[in-house]
Amino acid sequence: MSVIRKTLVLAAVLATALGVVAASAEGYQDIQDQVQEFTLPNGIHFIVLERHDVPVFSFNTFVNTGSAQEVTGITGIAHILEHMAFKGTAEIGTTDAKKEALAMKAEDEAFAALKVERLKGDHADPAKLAALEQAFTDAKDAARAFVVSNEFGQIVENNGGRGMNAGTGTDDTNYMYSLPSNRLELWAYLEGTRMSRPVLREFYTEKDGPVTEERRMRTENSPIGMLIEQFQNLAFMAHPYHHSTIGWMTDLNTITRQDCADFYKTHYVGRNMTVAVVGDIRFDEVKRLAGKYFAGVSAAVPPVIETFDAPQKGERRMVIEDEAQPFYICGYHIGNWAHADAAVYDAIADILGQGRTSRLYERLVKQDKSAVQAFSFAGYPGDKYPTLLAVLGMPAKDVAAEQIEIAVFEEIQKLMDEGVTAEELAGVKRRARANFVRSLEGNMGLAAQLSDYQGKQGDWRRMFTQLEAIDAVTVEDVQRVAREIFVPNNRTVAFIKTVEAAN
Amino acid sequence: MKRIMKKAAPVLLLLAAASLASPALAARNKPWEKIKTPSLGEIRLPDYQRVQLDNGMVLYLAEDHELPMIELSATIRAGQIYEPEGKTGLAALTGEVLRTGGTASWSGDEIDEKMESLGAMVETYVEGYTAGAYLSALTEDADTALAILAEILRSPRFAEDKLDLSKTQHKAGIARRNDEPMSIARREFSRVILGPDHPLARNEEYDTLGAISRQDLVDFHADWFGPDRTYLVVIGDFDAAVMTGKIKAAFAGWPAARRPLPADPAVPDLPRTVNVAPKADLTQSTVILGHKGIRNDDPHYAGIEVANRILGGGFASRLFNEVRSARGLAYSTGSASGTGWRQPGVFVAFAGTKSESTEQAAVVMIEQIEKMTREPVTAEELRVAVDGILNSDVFNYDSKREVLDRMVLFEMNGYPADFLTRYRAEVQGMTAAKVLEACQAVWQPEILSVLAVGNPADFDGDLSRFGAVNTVDITIPEPKLSLEIPAATPESLAAGQKLLDRAAAAVGGRKLADMKGFATKQTLAAEIQGMSLNITMETTIVLPDRLKLIQKLPFGESTQVLDGDKGWVQSPMGVQDIEGPDAAKMRDQINGDMLMLLRDHAGRTCQALPAEELDGKTCERVYITDEQGDYTLMFLDTATGLPVMEQSKGEAPMTGEPVTQKVKYDSYKDFGGVQRPATFTILFDDEVFATGQTTSFTLNPTVAAGFFAKP
Repeated sequence: MSVIRKTLVLAAVLATALGVVAASAEGYQDIQDQVQEFTLPNGIHFIVLERHDVPVFSFNTFVNTGSAQEVTGITGIAHILEHMAFKGTAEIGTTDAKKEALAMKAEDEAFAALKVERLKGDHADPAKLAALEQAFTDAKDAARAFVVSNEFGQIVENNGGRGMNAGTGTDDTNYMYSLPSNRLELWAYLEGTRMSRPVLREFYTEKDGPVTEERRMRTENSPIGMLIEQFQNLAFMAHPYHHSTIGWMTDLNTITRQDCADFYKTHYVGRNMTVAVVGDIRFDEVKRLAGKYFAGVSAAVPPVIETFDAPQKGERRMVIEDEAQPFYICGYHIGNWAHADAAVYDAIADILGQGRTSRLYERLVKQDKSAVQAFSFAGYPGDKYPTLLAVLGMPAKDVAAEQIEIAVFEEIQKLMDEGVTAEELAGVKRRARANFVRSLEGNMGLAAQLSDYQGKQGDWRRMFTQLEAIDAVTVEDVQRVAREIFVPNNRTVAFIKTVEAAN
Repeated sequence: MKRIMKKAAPVLLLLAAASLASPALAARNKPWEKIKTPSLGEIRLPDYQRVQLDNGMVLYLAEDHELPMIELSATIRAGQIYEPEGKTGLAALTGEVLRTGGTASWSGDEIDEKMESLGAMVETYVEGYTAGAYLSALTEDADTALAILAEILRSPRFAEDKLDLSKTQHKAGIARRNDEPMSIARREFSRVILGPDHPLARNEEYDTLGAISRQDLVDFHADWFGPDRTYLVVIGDFDAAVMTGKIKAAFAGWPAARRPLPADPAVPDLPRTVNVAPKADLTQSTVILGHKGIRNDDPHYAGIEVANRILGGGFASRLFNEVRSARGLAYSTGSASGTGWRQPGVFVAFAGTKSESTEQAAVVMIEQIEKMTREPVTAEELRVAVDGILNSDVFNYDSKREVLDRMVLFEMNGYPADFLTRYRAEVQGMTAAKVLEACQAVWQPEILSVLAVGNPADFDGDLSRFGAVNTVDITIPEPKLSLEIPAATPESLAAGQKLLDRAAAAVGGRKLADMKGFATKQTLAAEIQGMSLNITMETTIVLPDRLKLIQKLPFGESTQVLDGDKGWVQSPMGVQDIEGPDAAKMRDQINGDMLMLLRDHAGRTCQALPAEELDGKTCERVYITDEQGDYTLMFLDTATGLPVMEQSKGEAPMTGEPVTQKVKYDSYKDFGGVQRPATFTILFDDEVFATGQTTSFTLNPTVAAGFFAKP
């Protein structure tokens, strides 16, 4: 329920599972023929795939909004909103929505007053601060008195729901679970009402509790998590990927419910939503229920991002000193999913650092034994906007990060100088096809993929036609693109240097 | 026995659609309860076949032609529970090198290349109670992948370089194991619950990895892997009869596992312990409570599953609402029922919380567990839990793989095939009284052990309210006991024997060969805890199995005797019998004596290692090992052939902690035709512990009648 997807390690897995597809789409025509779709007047696009083997279904709601849509001051808000989407509506999760709304208003005012005093820092009046803290706590308690805790989750669970989860990334936010197929209308009610009329109750409790603690767990208390966050901060400047999805700690402290409501209003609009439903359901029934329960989602036009970085003019490099073991990352700027060379980036990442026969694995892990893991992938931290091709290495015991960097650079240079063999590229294409076939298994996986391709790339068919793009990659393409991107000026490096704990 | 059955029994799901219509307590509008829920269609078990081959292997096959793929998973009764002590990591290494180390006809790298070029996957593993393999390939590549998988399971090569590679990775894992708090919590909690000596709770260390040789992997595989304990699930785009024939051919002639299956190590019943693993740089704590649980055939299984759902199994749970939502105490919390298919599981409640609420989180969780054993759950809680279990039952049948994997699980662990149907019926008839009865029978709040990982300086309490607090030392032990020994070759083994022949001749020749026993007197000046002590030791050995050791210290005297397979010890505290493992230890003391090693070396594995300098002398080195994995590394003076140092595993005198023991020998002197060192030095972990002199030595002593008798 609070997973931030597309953290670095997970992204590597996803790069294999979702991203790269190759070879022909023939043979999957059956599935393509069975996909049906419709769009509501407010812009929400629905994709339906009927599979009647077992009386269950899964769905994925793709919201084309992630942390990239945040600005300084409200970083982390896309993730907070994802948590809020489980808090219910005016009907679910409250004993009295009207009285609760008044109590929440009082709570917001108490927080606003407290925030003003807190911002004074050392000049704050301690007595006043204490009084305001108390008033805020009291207001929170008063609002909480109307809360029916976790009712949304309980309804899903009580009705046999499985796999209820959500994830926020830089590019998008996704909501998913599965239900027995006789609960289709219940699902439409639950999903439609929370997407069109969520109540952001328990906002401060959730933000200051689970959300903040999640940041600590992923970043402050995780040396590799900290490294990855700062690597991203350094590689992107004005670009919306500059800040991490979990958000700055100080923003988490100061964001208000109104900020969150504004973010919802701006971005959770029909045109940003794609819902895929896969399983033992009927298209006509989904269409009827969608019209009934999803019509309340806003039909407004979402804003677009127009701020990006100028080309990098020199290597950027940083070190984290910690008692933890060393870790190495470097990244090179590349284009987004729509770039003409997108399939070539995937091929390069695959040959360089995916699987047991990749060049980095062969060199660092098998031959030099200087690393225990080495991999690379295209599209960190997302691929909706210009992004990075990243290389990661986990050094063996008693090996420093700088030591494996030498071998990483040598392998990259070799790729630029000598290119790749036809066999290597054929392997990429064959693997991509097998991975693509694997990704078609299961209602949940299909729903996720169909909504992702439709939502981000505008057409679910690209999930199939991308096979052709990677099939068209030549060895010349690989060398050309490698020479273009793997230049030191385009590089950002970050690593952990192990130091003794300070006593 | 050979049996093929085809089955497609419809399983009726008795989903209580009407159960949602409970009367509203308050005047709340709950529109979702008015939504109609049509009855759920019948669900059918997938068509499948169960086949048992002549060699004992059991196959479950299901055709599925939706995608052009096949998927195969093997489960084998071979797990970490069979790993010998002192070689922790052997099972996991076997599971990895099985795949990476190649087979009789393919090297590991060739398999990598083949698989990567096909986009196929073959992976193997060994975990706690079972080992296994997984294969996924496009239909057109299925034959190649199956042939490789069969070879991997039947005739692995266990290439030495791939073992080294895996060891390098495991060593990096050891170095990193304290970097993430969750990994500390998981590791230490299993030690708390299972005790440090259970095979699944032992820590992998640099030294346990160092003690593992290629031969150990070969033996582990031959001992525990075989068709007689292998279950295959095969699903995908194939014809079942044809696939059965292919599998039969691929595994024909695979010999049965060498060793019979021993009983599983027991999950012990331990009293409560309170444990803190300190890590100063953390701002959050992980708090885990737990005790031994039950097996799933326990009569309280259904009651406990329902109870756990209410306690900490989901959004409706008391822990989630009390600890996380209402009090904002934790960012994650929940519980696990503690039921297990093979062995009793572990009942666990956990919370991730900020340092300042560590103790409070533990207190609240224990309160909630106590309440479960004290008061019946409410009708509403029961309804929600029961509905949740029954309504999600359909997901037990939503993938063929899940259904067939479960059949294997039931067959392996002796559960009836209709276990789930019976369980469902029990859940349907569940009452608050039965839940309470189950909680009272199984959950015991007073014996819940506690583990907190975090920074105790910021804790809101020191946890001593739960009992005496044990501080868990998570410091990673540096390697000290193990040596980096190159692989033995026939040449190095022959050379080792030759060197020891020469040493035996130099020490005693004929006299040593005919030795029936010896008596020796030694004096020692030792440093123990800053005190200098003078000790006299009189050792008398009559071969093959009698030993008397008299030690005189300034504050008393002790006598230890081994007489055959038992013995006794007399100290100022009185006389005690010595039996079993302690007696075996004394026997090892006889057999491990330098003179015995030299006399009996022909029967041992003795590997010559490259010569080294030691205290200015060039020394030949011989690495002598026994079946228990203990070793002696003997340094022999190249000039004289005499031993100048022995290195082995030892125990620190006061703490009993494992140390590397070195004994240096000097100033050899002739005692009636046998050369003995007049002076020697004992070092523990390269620090001098004692210096000593040999004052007398008699070969083949005559002992009086009753010399070994218990006083």
